Amino acid sequence: MTGDGDDTDREILARIARDDPPPPDLDERVLFALALTDLEAEVARLAEATPALARAGEQAHTVTFDAASRTVMITVVERADNLVRVDGWLAPAAALVVELRLPEPAEPRVVTADDTGRFVFDEVPHGLAQLLIHPPSTGTPKVVTPSLQL
Amino acid sequence: MSPADAVDADARLGELLERARDGDRESLRELVRVLDPVLWRVARGQGLAAEDAADVVQTSWLELLRRLHEIRTPRAVTAWLITTTRREAWHRRQRARRDVPDGGAAVATAVDPGPAPGERLIADERDRVLWTHFERLSERCRDLLRIVAQVERPDYTVIAAMFGLPHGSIGPTRSRCLAKLRAMLLADPAWGTP
Repeated sequence: MTGDGDDTDREILARIARDDPPPPDLDERVLFALALTDLEAEVARLAEATPALARAGEQAHTVTFDAASRTVMITVVERADNLVRVDGWLAPAAALVVELRLPEPAEPRVVTADDTGRFVFDEVPHGLAQLLIHPPSTGTPKVVTPSLQL
Repeated sequence: MSPADAVDADARLGELLERARDGDRESLRELVRVLDPVLWRVARGQGLAAEDAADVVQTSWLELLRRLHEIRTPRAVTAWLITTTRREAWHRRQRARRDVPDGGAAVATAVDPGPAPGERLIADERDRVLWTHFERLSERCRDLLRIVAQVERPDYTVIAAMFGLPHGSIGPTRSRCLAKLRAMLLADPAWGTP
């Protein structure tokens, strides 16, 4: 880039840069979300999130993702052992295969939702995760969420 | 930056894009590293809370992946990502205003929500003086200085796409904006001498 003549210019730019830099884990989150997403996947958008609530003595927060074909709502519940439980719900309800991707080397977790669209992942570590909802049939796109911090 | 450098920068982005399309993780990583700070500024510039901005940046990348086969040139990818981020951010803000009384700032994650948009990190008196004068600059100058300050090696191709300006005008605009801010600061006794 063009040289910044002197210390004053450098100081000005350094002070500006200190204000509101991107989160240090932004690149990592983007790369994690992109890692396994295939080209045909339908992207679910963060629709709503509630702050952590104490629920029957547990800390929990709820996040909703909207895709064109389906809505995914998850409640992340803190466990006493520093792991979390993810209670999920698909709408419209369908007994679909739901995958929870975790950073390598952890294997992805795979469960099947019940007929009411409910699914559970238990004993999940804190950190980055991404949900993939597999389609009921070939020809329908997979739904993926952005990566989220559990 | 000379026109020849501009061609080089375009070629470099193009090469990264080509390799990322072929599945090279390292090239994708580099592409994300170059473009994320710009997309972050675009999202924050739309008035999103930090967590929402981070999410919108991710969503734009996910959308890009679906369109990668349709978008051929590096300049088009940059422009496409910036436009998508701006549009996603706008939608997010509209939805937050409609659904959540506090504007969606209450997103619960482990990530530090960071300062609200418009809030400044004021560490000392010189910061206070700097931001006072900074606010007197034109919006274009403010946006441009924030992005060139934050990006280690600013890529003028990317920045030109962000502002919708010809590539060749980024360098001179940047110098003019910085000179203006510098003159105001040096004329202010509260800024003092370094």
